[in-house]
Amino acid sequence: MSAVIEASGLGKQYRRTWALRDCTLAIPEGHVVGLVGPNGAGKTTLLRLVTGQLTPTLGAISVLGEAPAVSPAQLARVGFVAQDTPVYARMRVADHLRLGAWLNPGWDDELAQRRIGQVGLDPKQRGGALSGGQRAQLALTLALAKRSELLLLDEPVASLDPLARREFLRSLMEAVAEHGTSVVLSSHLVTDLERVCDYLIVLVASRVRIAGEVSALLASHRRLSGPRRDPGTLPAGQDVIEQSHTDKQSTLLVRTDDPVHDPAWTVTPVGLEELVLAYMNPANDIPARRPQLRVAS
Amino acid sequence: MIRLTWLQFRTQAVAAAVALAAFAILLAATGPNLASMYAADGLGSCHGGSCQSLAEYFTGSLVDGPYMVLYLISVGVILLAPAVIGLFWGAPLIARELETGTCDLAWNQSVTRTRWLAVKLTLIGLTAIAVTEALCLMQSRWAAPIGRAVGDGAPEGVAAQGRFTQLVFDTHGITPLGYAAFAFTLGVTAGALIRRTIPAMAVTLAIFAALQVAIPLWVRPNLAPADHVVVPVTSLHTGPALADPDGSTFALPAGNFVPGHPGAWLLSGGPVNTAGQPVSTTPAACTAMPVESNPLAFNDCLASQGIREAITYQPAGRYWPFQWTETAIYLALALALTGYCFQRLSRLS
Amino acid sequence: MIEFQLDETSGVATYLQLVQQVHQALRMGMLEPGDQLPTAQQVVARLAINPNTVHKAYRELEREGLARARPGLGTFITRSPSATDPATQARFLAAMTDWLHSARSAGLGPDDIEAIYRTAFRTCFAEGVA
Repeated sequence: MSAVIEASGLGKQYRRTWALRDCTLAIPEGHVVGLVGPNGAGKTTLLRLVTGQLTPTLGAISVLGEAPAVSPAQLARVGFVAQDTPVYARMRVADHLRLGAWLNPGWDDELAQRRIGQVGLDPKQRGGALSGGQRAQLALTLALAKRSELLLLDEPVASLDPLARREFLRSLMEAVAEHGTSVVLSSHLVTDLERVCDYLIVLVASRVRIAGEVSALLASHRRLSGPRRDPGTLPAGQDVIEQSHTDKQSTLLVRTDDPVHDPAWTVTPVGLEELVLAYMNPANDIPARRPQLRVAS
Repeated sequence: MIRLTWLQFRTQAVAAAVALAAFAILLAATGPNLASMYAADGLGSCHGGSCQSLAEYFTGSLVDGPYMVLYLISVGVILLAPAVIGLFWGAPLIARELETGTCDLAWNQSVTRTRWLAVKLTLIGLTAIAVTEALCLMQSRWAAPIGRAVGDGAPEGVAAQGRFTQLVFDTHGITPLGYAAFAFTLGVTAGALIRRTIPAMAVTLAIFAALQVAIPLWVRPNLAPADHVVVPVTSLHTGPALADPDGSTFALPAGNFVPGHPGAWLLSGGPVNTAGQPVSTTPAACTAMPVESNPLAFNDCLASQGIREAITYQPAGRYWPFQWTETAIYLALALALTGYCFQRLSRLS
Repeated sequence: MIEFQLDETSGVATYLQLVQQVHQALRMGMLEPGDQLPTAQQVVARLAINPNTVHKAYRELEREGLARARPGLGTFITRSPSATDPATQARFLAAMTDWLHSARSAGLGPDDIEAIYRTAFRTCFAEGVA
């Protein structure tokens, strides 16, 4: 499976602060990627590096096999919806669609008109008169009708009410089902993640803490609870991500590729939201992944 | 991209068209009357130096009348047009998109930022130049009788000035073209750097106004080496010599007209003695002369003492070369700003 | 046609919930062999979930032998899940007994055997894990 986004050692510095550091990713196509992290973690920076609006300070990035924004043809393959889904306040909905048609050779007008009708937008209404949810749907329609292979969305649902949020995600998932678009959705909320995302990147304080397919991540983490124990006594291959202790009990979240045999532990699987919160918690030190030992067979 | 530019520029284009139409109607309604007044005063059939008194009568009849007001208004419109264009067409171009976040919409379609800016700059910039030059041509045609009268030797007045004077130079010929191009690109660049519309408008206005003051003051006079001439005090067209209450010092402003050189641009002038040195002390023989009540007698007395007026000027023949040079300067500035804008836009984050 | 629901609070992975709902529907007779399952697009339009989840659920059903995807037509139920018949149960009981005897001979005590059993059980039926 080819990668839609490949980054190696990517970093971006503004004046004296690093917005993104040591970012190495290989995101496969055909996935809905959740880019999660607290505000200011570097999510917007990463997305703008992908669209080519920012140039890297360090490292390299390639999008759909090419450098970002290298040509109009490459621009046509990547769609972007910015935070708060801006639209032109004095331009009508229908004019926004004309903008899309004029500026995109691959514009699917039938899809655009159909979606506008489906979400109940009045073509004559001006952008400034739309509600937040309607604006988001208009911005999404513009992005979807562009028929890009990759769609990037920067916290598009953060300021929407739950119903508008659900409608937005529904429209987005329908488009993925119909066209197989790869999607990167950034958010500082962890709800709706498991529902919508099958690939996860957690970004905290400008660094990637974890990245991978959701099913693989869930398979490689366990919650262990049992009598109070020093985590240093755990066998190699079990990395402690999060730990909490009372005087009699220890609860650990471990990353491991092998099943846990120790009978002292009660082993339960970890849910996605729990996993994300553990990796997002800056108090948790994430141990480096040890290289896997390959047994000659 | 062309259609999008029109879509976003529609309101401003309509406003400009309405303004142009109103201007045209106003001038068309009053122009023929002005022309017939000119002809009725006998100026239509006379030419040359003998027409001077007729020209003087003509321009004198306009003073304090509605035509002077119209003249000043029309000149004012042309003077202001580039500034208005810079503020309302230039400053918001990039700044508004950045401010409202719509740049994320506009620049993430399938069109590069370079192309986006190139089309917008070209279309709106050319419109700006065309509108300003249209205003200028309309006004020149309307005010042609006045211009001819001044050329025939009518004395200087508020509404009757030589074409080389600042007010007229700035609003005739091709200089408005350069101002419009410069003000527009200045606005766009300010918007790109400052990223907010209102502050960009303020900065554009400040810089443009400063240049409109500085260039005629310091650059235009020196576009070519000035000529010098010494003329009799009695040949000046200016008003009475000024003097201190006690009559011990005097000055002799030269006005706008260079005797013997119609249409020249008077840069500076002052009284000099027979040796050619500047003089400001009233000669003993003339101190008793009452300046206000009998200025001509005062001037005659100065002349009898050997005092003459030394004038520095640019000859009339340099009008068009100066027009071309100044326009070229402003166009070069506009081009430099444009280049900087493109560079800045591709690095914008 | 079956209409899927999603219980976000249950902690059960979405694709597993879909699989379980098909099992339930088959058991209750609401789905029969030959019935078509909703397309990914239909499920997504109703639940706003990732379409890959639907594909994963249907692949699991195929793996269990309960459904089959026909290209261009959709995914259809092929057979009902077999109820646990006594013959199958007896077979597995015999196999388990043999295994226990072997483990005991190898020196494993009851606690060891229980631990191994629990681990194997959880790995096999762990919720939320592929």
